[in-house]
Amino acid sequence: MAEKSKAETRKEEGLGSRFLALVVRNKILLILAFFIAIMPVWADPISKPLGIDLVYVMRLVGVFTIVAVGLNLLMGYAGQISLGHGAFFGVGAYTSALLTVKAGFPVWFALILSIVVAAIVGLLVAPILRLKGHYLAMATLGLGIIAFVFFRELVWLTNGNDGVRGIPELALPGLNITTRKGEYFFVWILALLVLILCGNIVRSRQGRAIKALHHSEVAAEAMGINVSWHKIKIFMFSAALGGLAGGVFAHLQGYIDPGSFSIMLSIELVTMVVVGGMESIWGAVAGAGVILFIPEIIEALPKWLGDVPRWVERYSLYEGILFGLILILTMIFMPSGITKGLSDMTRFRRSPFVNPFRKKGVE
Amino acid sequence: MANGCVYVLVAMGFNIIYNSTGIINFAQGEFSMFGGLLAFTFAVSLGVPLPLVIILTLLTCAVIGGVTERLVIYPLRRAGVLAAIIATIGASILYKSLGRLFWPKEAYKVPDFTAGNLPMPGATVSSQFLWAIGLTALSVFLAWLFFNRTRTGKAMRACSVNRQAASLVGINVSHMSLYAFVIAGALGGLAGFINAPYAKYSIGLFLGIKGFTASVVGGLGNTFGAVAGGLVLGLLEELIPGFLTVVLGVSSGFKEAIAAIVLILVLLWRPQGILGKGVVEKV
Repeated sequence: MAEKSKAETRKEEGLGSRFLALVVRNKILLILAFFIAIMPVWADPISKPLGIDLVYVMRLVGVFTIVAVGLNLLMGYAGQISLGHGAFFGVGAYTSALLTVKAGFPVWFALILSIVVAAIVGLLVAPILRLKGHYLAMATLGLGIIAFVFFRELVWLTNGNDGVRGIPELALPGLNITTRKGEYFFVWILALLVLILCGNIVRSRQGRAIKALHHSEVAAEAMGINVSWHKIKIFMFSAALGGLAGGVFAHLQGYIDPGSFSIMLSIELVTMVVVGGMESIWGAVAGAGVILFIPEIIEALPKWLGDVPRWVERYSLYEGILFGLILILTMIFMPSGITKGLSDMTRFRRSPFVNPFRKKGVE
Repeated sequence: MANGCVYVLVAMGFNIIYNSTGIINFAQGEFSMFGGLLAFTFAVSLGVPLPLVIILTLLTCAVIGGVTERLVIYPLRRAGVLAAIIATIGASILYKSLGRLFWPKEAYKVPDFTAGNLPMPGATVSSQFLWAIGLTALSVFLAWLFFNRTRTGKAMRACSVNRQAASLVGINVSHMSLYAFVIAGALGGLAGFINAPYAKYSIGLFLGIKGFTASVVGGLGNTFGAVAGGLVLGLLEELIPGFLTVVLGVSSGFKEAIAAIVLILVLLWRPQGILGKGVVEKV
């Protein structure tokens, strides 16, 4: 029998090789999970001399990975830019914080509600998805500003600039997840689950649909894809992830104020997506890591080098210079981001940078 | 209404750049920030006489605009809309932080053009206000002359119709894009100067959003729609906070959200602007 059906072949290969295939397919995930799992072991001893609490920062990286991967689905895969995603993060954070502090809801119930509320807010503002390109960018930027102003001005609800204090920790009976390491593992288990979910979504029918509408809405419509409904769905999903990350963030920090959810947060989120790599699930992790570690590293510089110029010490005053340069330079020289750039480099032996000044043929 | 004049100028900057390059310059508000802060530096720190301050400020802002185009926009001329948006946002953050670096204080008092009030029949008007209106009217007139009477201006209008066709008839599209940024930089600088009794580094984003709102209200790309848009927005911003505090009794802090709300509503209901004609989108 020369021709065997696929099913027969698979049966003969047996369980072992199928497991191997699964491992190969998810190798990045497994490498990341392994790295996350062993990190506290080696990170703690070197945290002190390094001057960076690696586990603490990685915990935040996990939180921002959740929202960045959602934003990446929206921006990278569906091609719908959002410059106001900090709004959903803020909505999630405030929902969970206010429900637990003011209404006395159980923590986990409040966290779930923060996802739901963020998704509902996403649905309510979904009409702006009719806009395209610059218009959508400006409208979402406007949304971010509106959300920020509301967080600050609805004093009876949000305490205004005083913020919400005493947000309870996420505690599970029997599991020790309120310690520093416990929080770290909890956040990363959540983040890895979200990454798996999103990785599956982009390979599913939905994922193919949103990739199609990214390239041409008209062509996608002609193929029978309900463009506006798919856009709304992916926007709501992305908002829900923002809400989840925001809720977790609120419980981890224990204190939130409107300043944490200003337009700068939205722009940092966009930076994470862009730097990590659009149209790449793993780009979200890389982007969140890079963007959150840069300030820590610069703050730790005096400890490493002993004497640094004054302007390096006062870095936090103008970290925007760095973010601005990163955004511009990434767009010019590495428009597909770190992850795509590096994988191109290893796979095709090609420089990860593009030369924007190279002469091309007649356009 | 003085605010309205500022929005008119910022909105014209948005429109001119949009027309010749097809992109929205998210750093437009930052040009105005530089305008106000540079005016302070020239007038107060260096003690330059006022007419020279205006010229120096406008020139510096024009140079900043040109440099932005060469360093940020030109390398991305073949990239998509998303890349241009993100790169100009990068430029905007960069400029804001530079502003914070060089002018770290919360606010700088820029001197008035001429002090004092003018008695008018019925009311007294501050002479600063007259300067604002006068300079805005002058810039609108000069822009009209430039776009209708000069070769370069007409070439830039040709770019706004169809860049490829413009390039085919021998117009250097890349130069036109540079000129657009230079003009927009100068207009932004003037806006910042007029805007400022108090200039500060953080003003760019809000001025940018308001200017963009004004240009959308007037119809994006319609240089003279910007005049109507800016004045309407200026008027709304005068009226709505009063309405909010007096009638509804809520905090006037919501004022900052007005432009954003107007922007979203106009984009949803009349994306072509209150003056614009319907547009047919090409696939």
